[in-house]
Amino acid sequence: MFAFIAKRARNAVLLLFLASVLCFALVVSAPGNVAILIAELRTPTATKADIAKVEEELGLNKPLLERYGFWLNGAIHGDFGISYKTGEAVGASLKSRLAVTATLVAGGAVVAFLLSLFVGFVGALWAHRAPDVVTRGSALLGASTPSFFVGALLVYAFSVTWHVFPTFGFAGPVSWVLPWLTLGFLPAAVLSRVVRVGFEEAMAKPYVLTAMSKGLSRTSILVRDAIPNIAPTYLNALGTQIGTMVVGAVVVEPLFAWQGIGDLFLTGVRFRDFMVVQACLLVFITFFIILNVVVDICITLTDPRLRLQRS
Amino acid sequence: MSSEPILRVKDLTIDLLTAHTVVRPVDGVAYELSRRETLAIVGESGSGKTVTCFAPLGLMPVGVQADISGSILFDSRQLVGSDNETLRSLRGKSIGFIFQDPMSALNPARRVGRQIAEVAELHLGMTARAAETRALELIKMVGMSDPEIRLKQYPHELSGGLRQRVMIAIAIAAEPTLLVADEPTTALDVTVQAQILRLLKEIQSRMDMAMILITHDMGVVAGAADRVMVMYAGRHVETGPTERVLSQPQHPYTMGLIDAIPRKQDAIGSRFRGLPGIPPILGAPITGCAFMARCGYAVDACGERRPPFLPTAVPGVSAACPVLNIRAKECA
Repeated sequence: MFAFIAKRARNAVLLLFLASVLCFALVVSAPGNVAILIAELRTPTATKADIAKVEEELGLNKPLLERYGFWLNGAIHGDFGISYKTGEAVGASLKSRLAVTATLVAGGAVVAFLLSLFVGFVGALWAHRAPDVVTRGSALLGASTPSFFVGALLVYAFSVTWHVFPTFGFAGPVSWVLPWLTLGFLPAAVLSRVVRVGFEEAMAKPYVLTAMSKGLSRTSILVRDAIPNIAPTYLNALGTQIGTMVVGAVVVEPLFAWQGIGDLFLTGVRFRDFMVVQACLLVFITFFIILNVVVDICITLTDPRLRLQRS
Repeated sequence: MSSEPILRVKDLTIDLLTAHTVVRPVDGVAYELSRRETLAIVGESGSGKTVTCFAPLGLMPVGVQADISGSILFDSRQLVGSDNETLRSLRGKSIGFIFQDPMSALNPARRVGRQIAEVAELHLGMTARAAETRALELIKMVGMSDPEIRLKQYPHELSGGLRQRVMIAIAIAAEPTLLVADEPTTALDVTVQAQILRLLKEIQSRMDMAMILITHDMGVVAGAADRVMVMYAGRHVETGPTERVLSQPQHPYTMGLIDAIPRKQDAIGSRFRGLPGIPPILGAPITGCAFMARCGYAVDACGERRPPFLPTAVPGVSAACPVLNIRAKECA
């Protein structure tokens, strides 16, 4: 097991290195000269000498390999350079924005986890009866509703009509509820189907007949016999959904005026602030790679057959 | 044999209702079973052996509904018409079950120790720790080596024979009075079959259990059963003490079954002797003898009404064939 984790970690580091090369290459090959942009930002009538000066300052006149080495070394130490637009350290704004997005995605993941288990469980307990039909219908609706629309509906209901939660902002748990629900709703709908279908399949297995022959109740069969068997599939789907939630955060953050990393990334792209774009990309990729490794390890831990095979 | 039967089944009829069809896999079956006795229920696939034993106890595949009539007295309790909770409280506690395929009957994602221990927890009111100790005892009792290690293993780490031993440990964990074994040796190697059968008999005598052995293997019947009930198309066609039924069968279907067993003197490569024809479809009601179409002794009267199930010339053996049992016919 330890060897398996070590191997996965090594692969992750390798992948991360390749990703950093890709990030850098993408940004370097982007059209337009940043130095001209910045020089003109300082003095609208910038001369060639001014531009050369900016290039000198940013190290843009150095060979590519050296620039990459310099950037990577900085990135490892948390220094992602200076934003072309604001002149602030990218690392510092990343740090504060990361906290916002992490709060959003973590909350959304918890919402998706709890809601999907609850809905899937209700559907399985009352299989093919009213609660199952209702939850299945809402799951289909939920899975096909984009999150900006869900968010708008939630704001309209809870903020505008009932005044329960604030419309936007990042001030304490009360203001986090709506964004969490908005972000977690769609994944919850998708995951609840995974739970429901998983239960349905598991309950038709011969070992369920064995469990029934022991005199166990339906509820304890679902909990004791079915859950361990659907856990690997569920965790896999949950991992994918958390991945898409990071993407969803880009949409949900502006909706609630949260200054998260998605917002940082979007403004960075709009202003061709390549240092920011580069840093955000690297953060996203790092997150996905870590997520994958964690999901892989979790699946291996929950499936005894895989555990045997991989250790 | 011993005194009062613990299981008394009369006129048991089961209709299975799925979304589209109704079938009657069990049609007016009757039998009795005493403590410490082993009854083998024999018949070809689809003759209703398994449903006879499982459906009245609420063990049905998902999506199938059973309509049960007749009478089943188990320990003087009427099972037909009992609610699900009553049946559930009997399962595992008073009646243990062993299934055909130990490869799929155990939960692949849980340690075998837990799968055994939860029965003790549920029915003997044990704490998790006490149940664990009980599971260890049971694993020793079913003859597994390294019991402490086995307890922590998963089903895929065990061979077929060992898994069936785990299954037996689960079935006897709460010391039931009746054990229902559905083809317990069919999925196993021949050498392992004998071991498992011996183990079952040994545990049965140690725990004073009654046992129903569902099988199509005449070797198993000869080796393990006190009495036999032969089923055909959902009906019992012959019952009696094992050695008499096997040596002097009184129903043409039983004769055919026994005749179909390959013999030592058969030439290598010769064709197996089988019963000609196929069993009837259970969807439509059968008025006469269900075996008539495949029977070499059939007369016209066989098709008129269901042949009565009556004692034959052989002591203790009853059969539903008036044609071959003139004496029985006269009695009727």
